[in-house]
Amino acid sequence: MPSHHHRPESEVALRVKAIESLLVEKGIVDLAALDAIIDTYEHKVGPHIGAQIVAKAWVDPEFKKRLLADGTGAISELGFTGFSSEHMVVVENTPEVHNLIVCTLCSCYPWAILGLPPTWYKSFAYRSRAVIEPRKVLQEFGLEIPEQVEVRVWDSNADLRYLVLPERPDGAEGWSEEDLATLVTRNAMIGAAKVQPPAAADSLVA
Amino acid sequence: MTAQDARVLLAKGLSCQVDSNLPAKFQVGDHVKAKVIHPKTYTRLPRYIRGKVGTIVKDHGVYVFPDTMGQRLSTKPQHVYSVRFTAQELWGLDASPKDSLYIDLFDDHLEAL
Amino acid sequence: MNGPHDLGGMHSMGPIPIEENEPVFHSEWEAKVFAMSFATFVNYFPVDETRHASERMPPGEYLSSSYYERWLYALELLLAEHNLVTPDEIEARIAEFTQADSLID
Repeated sequence: MPSHHHRPESEVALRVKAIESLLVEKGIVDLAALDAIIDTYEHKVGPHIGAQIVAKAWVDPEFKKRLLADGTGAISELGFTGFSSEHMVVVENTPEVHNLIVCTLCSCYPWAILGLPPTWYKSFAYRSRAVIEPRKVLQEFGLEIPEQVEVRVWDSNADLRYLVLPERPDGAEGWSEEDLATLVTRNAMIGAAKVQPPAAADSLVA
Repeated sequence: MTAQDARVLLAKGLSCQVDSNLPAKFQVGDHVKAKVIHPKTYTRLPRYIRGKVGTIVKDHGVYVFPDTMGQRLSTKPQHVYSVRFTAQELWGLDASPKDSLYIDLFDDHLEAL
Repeated sequence: MNGPHDLGGMHSMGPIPIEENEPVFHSEWEAKVFAMSFATFVNYFPVDETRHASERMPPGEYLSSSYYERWLYALELLLAEHNLVTPDEIEARIAEFTQADSLID
């Protein structure tokens, strides 16, 4: 294999273009398939899907019960399935327990529910540190976890994919499922953030 | 791969679960030890878990075994469990006594205590 | 294998690189590498074989490469090992493209 050391971007881009043209020429892949794959992850799937699942669990206690008992089954009730989300486990954050998801060996992540992972999730820093010093990692995200709260780290090394069900914030009583979903962030569904109350969310935007 | 093949794979994914009545080697509540192994081939048992003692918290059912799949060998279906390790078991007494690590391990990764 | 990918607990990896409002892909080539790898997942290589291929990258290189550079390495390695696209074919195609570009200039 040729060395991949510190090649300029233009060189990598040219190499990728060469491989693409060979794959297409040999009939291994159609350009339209590549476009469909890229379009799906750029425009169709993303954290808005996970946010709908979380909001439904907040307003529907029976759904929440099913979601925590059988993530895959409950999520498929909403029609959300897909690649790298075939087997889902949902873990609930409470005043007593804070859950954090990582994949130390690669960067496994529920693509169909949250989209492709952010750079920080794929970083060597996160993959190495989340398991040995989760509280320090969470501090870097601005989250101070009180000593008496249990931190549970989930290393998603196998074929199960994880989603954190964050705590419902105060100040959104009586909100519709649709409005609640707008409060739920990607990081909150990985365990790297809490869902902010609506006023705080507004002031962040302002 | 055609665009249609891509859409099907994107929407349906690839199930790794196997319909099987293969008995489980371990039960919820069992204390287990992660094997000490250093294969030169593919494994989903990370180094920081090897040799450590944990507790089975859930049996997820029977799945294909990635350690053999990654080498294009047999699917070798077996049970996969959610196993809890205390942070202190993994990292020593400097770790928080409250904290724990959950990881999914297969029958072949584990031995009874 | 005891490779560079097995990072749990390793020290000195620095602060978490948190990027605000990041795009799904940072360049077109990243998107293409992702899509080409995805397109081979079923028909050619099981996903675990692709994961293993990136782990086989020499440790020094693995730890100095970006996420999609590692995917590219895995893709090239498997295409070669399965005789789908050889390294020579890739180099020849790059040379063709470079020559075509220089003719336009």
